[in-house]
Amino acid sequence: MSPYVFTLLIFNLGLGTTMTFASSHWLLAWMGLEINTLAIIPLMTRQHHPRAVEATTKYFLTQATAAALILFASTSNAWLTGEWAINQMSHPLATSTIMLALALKLGLAPVHFWMPEVIQGLDLTTGLVLSTWQKLAPFALLLQVSSTVNPLILTLIGLLSTLIGGWGGLNQTQLRKILAYSSIAHLGWMVLIIQFSPPLATLSLLIYIIMTTSAFLTFKLTSSTTMNALATSWTKSPMMTSLATLILLSLAGLPPLTGFMPKWLILQELVKQDLPMLAFFAAMTALLSLYFYLRLCYTVALTSSPNTITMLTPWRLNPTQTSPLNPLTTMLTLALLPLTPAILALVIY
Amino acid sequence: MTPVHFSFTAAFTLGLMGLAFHRTHLLSALICLEGMMLSLFIALSLWTLQLESTAFSTAPMLLLAFSACEASAGLALLVATARTHGTDRLQNLNLLQC
Repeated sequence: MSPYVFTLLIFNLGLGTTMTFASSHWLLAWMGLEINTLAIIPLMTRQHHPRAVEATTKYFLTQATAAALILFASTSNAWLTGEWAINQMSHPLATSTIMLALALKLGLAPVHFWMPEVIQGLDLTTGLVLSTWQKLAPFALLLQVSSTVNPLILTLIGLLSTLIGGWGGLNQTQLRKILAYSSIAHLGWMVLIIQFSPPLATLSLLIYIIMTTSAFLTFKLTSSTTMNALATSWTKSPMMTSLATLILLSLAGLPPLTGFMPKWLILQELVKQDLPMLAFFAAMTALLSLYFYLRLCYTVALTSSPNTITMLTPWRLNPTQTSPLNPLTTMLTLALLPLTPAILALVIY
Repeated sequence: MTPVHFSFTAAFTLGLMGLAFHRTHLLSALICLEGMMLSLFIALSLWTLQLESTAFSTAPMLLLAFSACEASAGLALLVATARTHGTDRLQNLNLLQC
């Protein structure tokens, strides 16, 4: 791909998300989403490989359907109530349809089936863009309509996402599919809390983006896409492999690491809202996720894979796929928990 | 619910049902998507005409432009799928299943 076309596509990717952020009219928000989808499609098919083409086709079909459904629901809302503004949806049918369409766009539980397959077909960098930057625009819309959506729907979608995100990942050996299921589970936590505290949901999204960025970049550094490749990745970069264990535990949400912060605050908020059973079930579904992260950690750190002597040499060479972003996001992934009060003061109060 | 509202809702729902349940060819999926977009075009145009709002009259044009871009992207993907998978049947898109 020519660098000019590449730059243009990246620019359009930014433009689409920014347009959705800045719009208060549904038509402009829809246009932003469409620009976003149209810009990422050529980036996804950059390698003309059957798997990439198939992933792109599936992504295109789901995203186009979701965008059309969003515009249909907002048009219906306008015909029924005469209101085009995003945060003043009032008809229950329209808000439920929009919630379903946004769930399809984000890859939330009842309509999540495209997500693991699409991520599996792409290379790690595009998968990273798909699971971070592409979530921002639909999430901004979700944040604005969340106060008008039926709370029961939000709770059900959130709880089902955390459950399926944990359950689906149990049977996987492909890293990209595991990361996709982890994305489903994390977004489920955000949807669970979005009706009580939108700033907390935004904070969780931010932390999730930081953690998943460092996970994707670390896997890219060692070029590993399966658990088997992960088991031999220590020969390529011993230091990053030992940190990869901690990054995975941070994604799982274990206490001394950053990933614990959103889970802690969300559980606290749920208990404060007098919903202890919901908090209990959410914490229980997190255990399912914890199992497959722990299995990954076990493969990375606690097994010694059968090696020939020539396989042990790559650590003497400099890694080729380094990213300047990786040290920063890894540090944030590992050591942000002590700053929780400051972040709370900045984001929530 | 006015007759206009009912008719475009019915057209959109038919397109969505076709897309969701009639999964044989990629081309038919794209045509269903296009049908959904056209029902939305009719809805926006009639909104403009009924309310006689000049400010809103660009909206159907914008929608049509974007849906044309979307359809062309879809057709490009149809060509790419035909080249990599040999056919446009959705059954054959099974390389990435769990």
